[in-house]
Amino acid sequence: MTTPGSVTLGSPLGEPVAVVPGGDSWSRVRDDLAAHGSALAYAWLRDLEPAVPSGDELRELLGRDWTRYLDLTHSDVRNRYVASRMLLKHAAGAVLASEPADLELAYGPTGRPYLRGCDQIDISLSHTEDLLLVGLTTCGLIGVDAERADRDMYGGGLVRHICTPYEAVLLSGMPEKERNGALVRLWTLKEAYSKAIGQGMQFRFTEFGFGPDGRPVRVQRPDGTPGTGEEWTFRTFPLEDGYVVSAAVYDAGFGKLQDAHVTTMLDQDCVDAITEALDEEESGGAGA
Amino acid sequence: MSADDLTGLDAFLRIVGDDLGLDVEQPAGADLALTEVPGWDSLNLLRLVVLLEESGHRVPVHRLLEARSLRDIHTLVKEYG
Repeated sequence: MTTPGSVTLGSPLGEPVAVVPGGDSWSRVRDDLAAHGSALAYAWLRDLEPAVPSGDELRELLGRDWTRYLDLTHSDVRNRYVASRMLLKHAAGAVLASEPADLELAYGPTGRPYLRGCDQIDISLSHTEDLLLVGLTTCGLIGVDAERADRDMYGGGLVRHICTPYEAVLLSGMPEKERNGALVRLWTLKEAYSKAIGQGMQFRFTEFGFGPDGRPVRVQRPDGTPGTGEEWTFRTFPLEDGYVVSAAVYDAGFGKLQDAHVTTMLDQDCVDAITEALDEEESGGAGA
Repeated sequence: MSADDLTGLDAFLRIVGDDLGLDVEQPAGADLALTEVPGWDSLNLLRLVVLLEESGHRVPVHRLLEARSLRDIHTLVKEYG
């Protein structure tokens, strides 16, 4: 339970890729998406802030988020807000072959972000302290979460609000020095899963759980019995500087998407319908 | 901590800031959206639940999830006693 990133069920998921706007690591993100159907990218606030545009360029990049950005009063919150949107749009732009400012970020009823008009890709965003994390998938749904690996969680009464009874028993049976790290792993998995399904904490964290690391990770019922199947993939990765990130990916069974580019992405059913209509028109015209 | 400690808004904001390690300005911080409170995240919500429990306040978590600001949470604290 304390060695994140081991055996998994479902599609494999590449390790998070460190990126900066204008950097040369975006090809790895594209490669991960092509190979696995999902990709994780992360950046540090300190690296992003110097690249944040200003004036009209910032307004263009933020699009509909511009008004919300102006309403934010605290400088730290504003900086993180704009940096996270910039990272998300650059990441999506890299895999969709689109200019970041051309992409429109929208939000569902529960606040879940999505790219308007780009349903070939699902996105998720997380940040903690200086770390910003983006998840991208063409499989179906994705949720990601980042946290400090040593954030104080075990003790202080939090376990009964985070864990299922089964998880609480497993944690209490672990060596004391391993319990906090194991709980941080569980927390990030739960956050990632609840983001993927768009529920947030409305789906109480004590109502679903995860088993120990080092074996296939799947959602469990409160008593520890399996709750989901192989359609879900979960992974947890340690990052440098003492952070841990988790991702939850739902495979809707669309199959591997060969081309996610925004300019060439066409729904195959739509293409077939248009082709059929054109064929009918052509044969009708020939007979007239 | 007694149940009375959190019934005043100023004391509530001070204790929340101190116990959760958040930078909560008084009184303006009371009306900020929780997502705009520097350092606020979902774990802090659960830590606040524990803090309320330890101080004798039993506010249902689903009601806290509806709160949009610390003032909303303080109102719930007074409502549930």
